[in-house]
Amino acid sequence: MTEEKTILPGTLEVRNISKAFPNVQALDDVSLDIRPGEILAFVGENGAGKSTLLKIINGDYRPDAGTISIDGESLSFSNPKQAHEAGIRVIYQEPEIVPGVDVPENIWVGELPNRFGLIDRRQLNEKTKTRLKEYGFEDILPIDLMGDQLSSAQRQLVEIMRALKKGVRVLALDEPTSSLTGEEVDRLFTLVRRLRDEGVAIIYVSHRINEIKRLCDRIAILRDGCLVAVKPASEMTQTEIVTLMVGRNLSDVFQRQPAGTDQEALRVENLYSNWHDGVSFQINAGEVVGFSGLVGAGRSELAKVIFGEFPLDDGQIFLTGEKVTIHRPDDAIAKGIGFAPEDRKREGLILVRSVLENTSIAILRQLSRFHIVRKGMERNIVDEFVEKLQIRTPSLDQEVGKLSGGNQQKVVLSRWLAAKPKVLILDEPTRGIDVGAKAEIYRLVDELANAGLAIMFISSELPEILGLSDRIYVMQNGRITGELSGADASEEAILELAMVDNLVAPQFGAPTNFEG
Amino acid sequence: MNKEMIEQPITSKKSKVSKKNGSIIKRIISAIGVDNLSLIIALVVLVLFITVVSGWFGFTSGDKFFTWQNLMNSVAQAIVIVGLLAIGETVVIIAGGLDISVGSVASIGSVVSASVLIGVGTFGSITFLSNSVVIAVLAGMLAGVMAGIINGLIITTLRVNPIIATLGTLAAFAGIAFLLAPDGKPVGVMTQPQFTWLAQGRFFKDMSIPPLNGSNWTGIPVLTVILVIVAIIVHFIMSYTDFGRAIYAVGGNDTAARLAGINLTRVRIMMYMLSGGIAGLAGVLLTARTTSGNPINGTGLELQAITAVFLGGAATDGGKGTVMGTFLAVILVGVLNNGMNLLGFNTFVQRVALGFLLVAAVAISQWRQARTERTRTRIAN
Repeated sequence: MTEEKTILPGTLEVRNISKAFPNVQALDDVSLDIRPGEILAFVGENGAGKSTLLKIINGDYRPDAGTISIDGESLSFSNPKQAHEAGIRVIYQEPEIVPGVDVPENIWVGELPNRFGLIDRRQLNEKTKTRLKEYGFEDILPIDLMGDQLSSAQRQLVEIMRALKKGVRVLALDEPTSSLTGEEVDRLFTLVRRLRDEGVAIIYVSHRINEIKRLCDRIAILRDGCLVAVKPASEMTQTEIVTLMVGRNLSDVFQRQPAGTDQEALRVENLYSNWHDGVSFQINAGEVVGFSGLVGAGRSELAKVIFGEFPLDDGQIFLTGEKVTIHRPDDAIAKGIGFAPEDRKREGLILVRSVLENTSIAILRQLSRFHIVRKGMERNIVDEFVEKLQIRTPSLDQEVGKLSGGNQQKVVLSRWLAAKPKVLILDEPTRGIDVGAKAEIYRLVDELANAGLAIMFISSELPEILGLSDRIYVMQNGRITGELSGADASEEAILELAMVDNLVAPQFGAPTNFEG
Repeated sequence: MNKEMIEQPITSKKSKVSKKNGSIIKRIISAIGVDNLSLIIALVVLVLFITVVSGWFGFTSGDKFFTWQNLMNSVAQAIVIVGLLAIGETVVIIAGGLDISVGSVASIGSVVSASVLIGVGTFGSITFLSNSVVIAVLAGMLAGVMAGIINGLIITTLRVNPIIATLGTLAAFAGIAFLLAPDGKPVGVMTQPQFTWLAQGRFFKDMSIPPLNGSNWTGIPVLTVILVIVAIIVHFIMSYTDFGRAIYAVGGNDTAARLAGINLTRVRIMMYMLSGGIAGLAGVLLTARTTSGNPINGTGLELQAITAVFLGGAATDGGKGTVMGTFLAVILVGVLNNGMNLLGFNTFVQRVALGFLLVAAVAISQWRQARTERTRTRIAN
């Protein structure tokens, strides 16, 4: 067993790696060294390229250009297995665990010890126990648990144990602490430091700057697919890190002139749900109010709770001053709320149906007399919005699935404009669409607000949230951690509120609810 | 600045729309639907095969196809029951569901209508209902609607997969049909000529239409007229009402439909009620045709109905399909059965053919979906 653990220290050299996806350059000429006996942090905003880089290192993606080598030996992976064989292991947030088998089998999957063709249970359990004791996890990870009984923390441990069973040379951890409690985090850090001291090169990806400062030796900062800095952690302050992550030129983004009224459109008081912990805010008529925060902060879920798609546990919702009860999305629509969801294809559109049907769906009741759709009226209304929003489609009867992303999003928007809501919730309305269409959507949002609509604008892109919002709420872990407006609103201020983790362990509703 | 450039495609779109109304052939095609064109071609090929090609191989019985007797009695009348079930099923399949229980629902409708008409059994003994053809027909349909409500509630409130749910109710409703019949025995309606007229009556019998291949004009069966009327009503519902739009939306993407304000539960229960009501009517007509309210009247019909829907171009994932397509597919299946009869294939061969036809219909439907999926990704990238 001793030779299994022998580690051959080696420097992972990433040279000139580039990778492009449709509409986006995910990585642009990135070069860096990941050295044995060192913990290197990857930090950056959502979409800065951290995950893409990890996936390239792990063999999930092939780079468009550039090379990866360990100690001068060039590597080229076409799948994760080859990366594993070279001693590289990436531990993702959601490791793959076989649900129906216990911990030892999950750890040794693929190389179970056997005798006469049968699994040697005794040797397997023995091996696993020794290994767990060695790293001090024997009480956290009881070996008789089945895969589907494991918590997120335990799943990650299983994945780490898998990585350690073969001589691992490079170990990458992607947001490992996002679902761990304080004590679990401490144990994980102990393990990571120990592996570092044994000569493993460690990559640590996290949004939590405090943790990074505590754990890591060097920090690599990515922004828009470029590596902007690699420095020893001791030489950087938190503010410096945030500034380097952001540092973008704001002038090229749409800049809206605030035009809010003092007429209340939507007010939410003390909203509690599975994802939220006392959220209160207000949006006035004519206002664009941005909701910023990291992925998983609970913004999309907030929209869905308000819209009646997800259950509300407690709290009150007021529309133009009146308390409303919303059970289902159709209640919300009847009361004057529109909602363009984040996942356009899965939640926003009926891809196999026409532009016409997708646009008029929310106003069918108004369009119908004795349940018969007045088709002439329908065509006129839809035609008007197709023209107003400049939706490029060969005809109103074109299947929506055959339009480009930007035009699809405009169909969703025209649906809600036709419904004439008082409050419009836009969840990541510019995701995955090209620059030109983005600009058109910014202009439209601006116009709509100026016409008196209250807009709840959820976006992970800081420049657009800053450019378009009259006020900004920042969320973290299901709570609003701050409100910014005017001169206070800057990328640094938002990131500070969204990331700098000075909260107690997350108080999400009973986690059993979503982990089943 | 680039406003004109953007407006260009919009104006060209308008000219395209107006061009579409240009030629008469194009207008006819767009009324039938491009997807349905292949069904018509298949029908023509099939008829040619039965009447002409089979003659080359020495089958002479194909000559009998174009006779009024064969066309009206063996084709137009024979397709009615399966046709009705298939039209109800079309609505459910377009909405992304499935109703396997239609055959058993028809059995219930058959027993209930006969009991009410004759005044026997569980429902028949309720005296104020008895002895009216209209009430018997309505009772059979109502029984079907009730069965549909049960299907709908199981699928929506208990969240049981529609295939499993209606497979269960297929068995359960078959049992109920027996329980409703007095002593589980068929109820004869031979003595009710007004009721059996539904199956035996002929419209336009007196019109002077010349004989066809030596066979005299028979008139149009009442059953066929009922099928056409139901088809037109359901086509209207699907194309012109808010409910029809909701059916297509739910079948295309139920999450998106809900987030656009469609009440999924209500739509689903209503569509199973519609499918159940039509199946109940099919049961009533089965009673009229077989002159008895028999609890096994509907057994096994669901397979033919589902086959016709998929053959008619409905997507297995839902969101696509037309009543017109199903109607053409029903004719196609009817002509196929008739042709096999005329050419002397035995019933076992016919069953094999029907089974494989279902598989082929679904395969074609899947292939069509895969093709549109490909074009969609090509555009997205």
